[in-house]
Amino acid sequence: MRKPAYGVLALFPSADALLKAIPKVKARGYAQLEAYTPYPVHGLDAALGLPESKLGVLVFLMAAFGAVGVFAFEWWANAVNYPLLTGGKNAFTWPAWIPPTLEGSIFLGTFTAALAMLFIFNGLPFFGHPLLQTKTIDEITRDRFALLIVPSGAAFDEADAAAALRAAGGAAVETLPAPSHETPDAAWWTRTALAIAAACAVAGGATAFAIRVFPTVKPMVNMEVQPRLDAQEPDSFFANGRGMRLPPAGTVPRGGTPILAASLDAAGRELIDPLPVTEFVLERGRRQFDRHCAVCHDRLGTGRASLSSVYTAKPADLQSSTMRKIADGSLYWVISQGYNTMPAYAADVSPDDRWAIVRYIRALQRSQDAPERDLK
Amino acid sequence: MSAATTNHRGRALLAAAAVGAAGMAATYFLDGAARFWANWLLWFVILACLALGTLFLVALQHITGSLWSVPMRRVPERIAALTPWLVPVAAVALFSVPAVFSWTQPGADAVTPLVLKSAWLNYPFFILRLAACLALWMLSYHLLVRRSLRQDESKDPRVTVSLRRFAPAFMIILALTITVFAFDWVSSLEAAWYSDMFGVYLFAGAVTTAIAATTLGVIYQRRRGRLPGVTEDHLYNLGGLMFGFTIFWSYIAFSQYMLQWYANLPEEVFWFQQRTSGKMEGVFVLLMAGHFFVPFLGLMMRSDKKDWRRLRWISIWVLFMEFVDVFWLISPIAGKGLNLGWPEAAFALFFLSAGLLVVSRAMSRGPDMPVGDPFLEDGLKFHLR
Ligand code: HEC
Repeated sequence: MRKPAYGVLALFPSADALLKAIPKVKARGYAQLEAYTPYPVHGLDAALGLPESKLGVLVFLMAAFGAVGVFAFEWWANAVNYPLLTGGKNAFTWPAWIPPTLEGSIFLGTFTAALAMLFIFNGLPFFGHPLLQTKTIDEITRDRFALLIVPSGAAFDEADAAAALRAAGGAAVETLPAPSHETPDAAWWTRTALAIAAACAVAGGATAFAIRVFPTVKPMVNMEVQPRLDAQEPDSFFANGRGMRLPPAGTVPRGGTPILAASLDAAGRELIDPLPVTEFVLERGRRQFDRHCAVCHDRLGTGRASLSSVYTAKPADLQSSTMRKIADGSLYWVISQGYNTMPAYAADVSPDDRWAIVRYIRALQRSQDAPERDLK
Repeated sequence: MSAATTNHRGRALLAAAAVGAAGMAATYFLDGAARFWANWLLWFVILACLALGTLFLVALQHITGSLWSVPMRRVPERIAALTPWLVPVAAVALFSVPAVFSWTQPGADAVTPLVLKSAWLNYPFFILRLAACLALWMLSYHLLVRRSLRQDESKDPRVTVSLRRFAPAFMIILALTITVFAFDWVSSLEAAWYSDMFGVYLFAGAVTTAIAATTLGVIYQRRRGRLPGVTEDHLYNLGGLMFGFTIFWSYIAFSQYMLQWYANLPEEVFWFQQRTSGKMEGVFVLLMAGHFFVPFLGLMMRSDKKDWRRLRWISIWVLFMEFVDVFWLISPIAGKGLNLGWPEAAFALFFLSAGLLVVSRAMSRGPDMPVGDPFLEDGLKFHLR
């Protein structure tokens, strides 16, 4: 059986001729028309009787979604989840979020416009469109205006359609055959998938190669290159050839407190907590503890933090009876010196803050093991 | 429209202007010079924006050769009749310079930025620049509008050719003069302040305003049957331009704000602090919401831009927003806090009715469309889709 034709096509010399022909063809009872023009023609939509496109609504919705989504995300990330204070501004720095908000709406808007236009409204993918196989496609993309009568109903007479087009002033009338295959077969999908995979592999490989082989170019090195000695750098000035100096024996840096004790136990006997008992100290301790210790010891000090599953060492349970009994000075000593796999915090946490942490650990212990009079 | 109603309306406008003028005089004596000058400068800037914006629209049409705007071109040409009136308004405004401009105040020679800027901000040069701007604007008005009016009778197509040739030159004139105008008459009020893009800011507002005023004029004329053949499709393009320039203004306004907010430099940010804190904060929020969101959402759909009723209220709103914008720029110089009261109403009454008088008198003279323009026919045929 012969497949029904895709339609009957005719060429017109100008946009005007096309617009004039449409009502004539319609008058002969052909309502389903399609036009192909090299550029958008004013009045064509109305002449063909096309309704206003719904694309705008779709684009608006997606663009609004992009704007609101990005703004909300920025707000959550910068003001809620991890409040970031920069340049003395508060965490709700909305002006800084406007550019990404704009980008978000443009991004979703344009992609929606292009993709929805192609795939939802224009019916792509359409492989092997019959128009592409005509002799006249070159002219249609250049300076001719084509009108296609689309068959509707069973009784479609190609000859009559051709006559209608000719009567309306159309030339080069031809019948377009039905599309050879409208949906791609499995082989096509395989080929396409392989091609995409190959493209990804090439692009990825080239990027990796470029990063490895070529030195990365630094756009601005003013901050990095300075006339100063960095840590561990050699220097010819001193006899031992090192840039870094050790403090002279028996000295204490300004603002530093010497660690008097030689051992955990000695520290427990010798060191005395110098801080006053105030809410400020406890609050300070809480913030330092949550910042430095909670990752391993958990916020309650139980030693079962979220990190436990991937962290092979076993952080001490600060709520254990040993830890309850250990002296304040010993805790201070552990924080300062570290303890086996437990890292030292002398470099990161000031002495006062270390004492504040000790204070807070005491509060934590009491909170988990409160004597009855505390509960009254 | 009969001559009687025209006269009637003219007399009403004159009376309103007289009442406004009395209020203005009272402002000077009862409320002090600073408030008077703040209002005078405000209206000077608004009038200049309107005149320059409409001249820009006229020149834009000549440059792009757009057809749709030909039948409506007479409206911006008539509004541009405000241009010659800028001369007396500017002449009076010159007296405000010693009174309220920060670079003329005692002690200005102790402020570093003012000392650095003194080569630019000094009396002789300031007056020279104003004179040059006014001369160039008058010349442009003459070349762009007067010749087009004369073409109505001569029907000489060569006029169109020479208009098209002058239009690009006008764009350069406009770019330079509106920047100078913005720097001199608005930002030099707080002369220590820096903003390179301030000229563009004022320009964006001026064009948005001019489009709104033109749209109102077109709707008014069309409803009186004076623009036969001008359809919704023509209006659609005005709506589209208004939509576009709304976004442009917002983009510029935000860019200026964000850069200074981010850098947080004392010599820049004080200006915004005056205008975003205290009672001015409300004006700032109104400006953000009203100058952007209302026209942006109100004109978004295709059908919105064809709906003359909607275009009319959005145009009125946009004009109001231009007032809010310039008020936001200028009013802080007249003292702290929000200055809004009967003096502001009096100034608005005077300048609105006087301006309307000038424009409506211009509109009642000669044809309502550029009948000598060879493209009028094609312009009337314009349709969408
Ligand atoms: C990187 C994970 C990690 C962090 C962060 C950490 N610790 Fe530890 N901590 C450990 C481990 C592991 C041990 C057990 C060491 C051992 O017993 O060998 C430990 C042990 C301890 C002990 C017991 C020492 C003893 O005498 O047995 C104390 C007290 C302690 N940590 C306090 C702290 C405090 C206070 C902080 C915050 C300043 C902190 N830790 C931060 C991992 C950590």
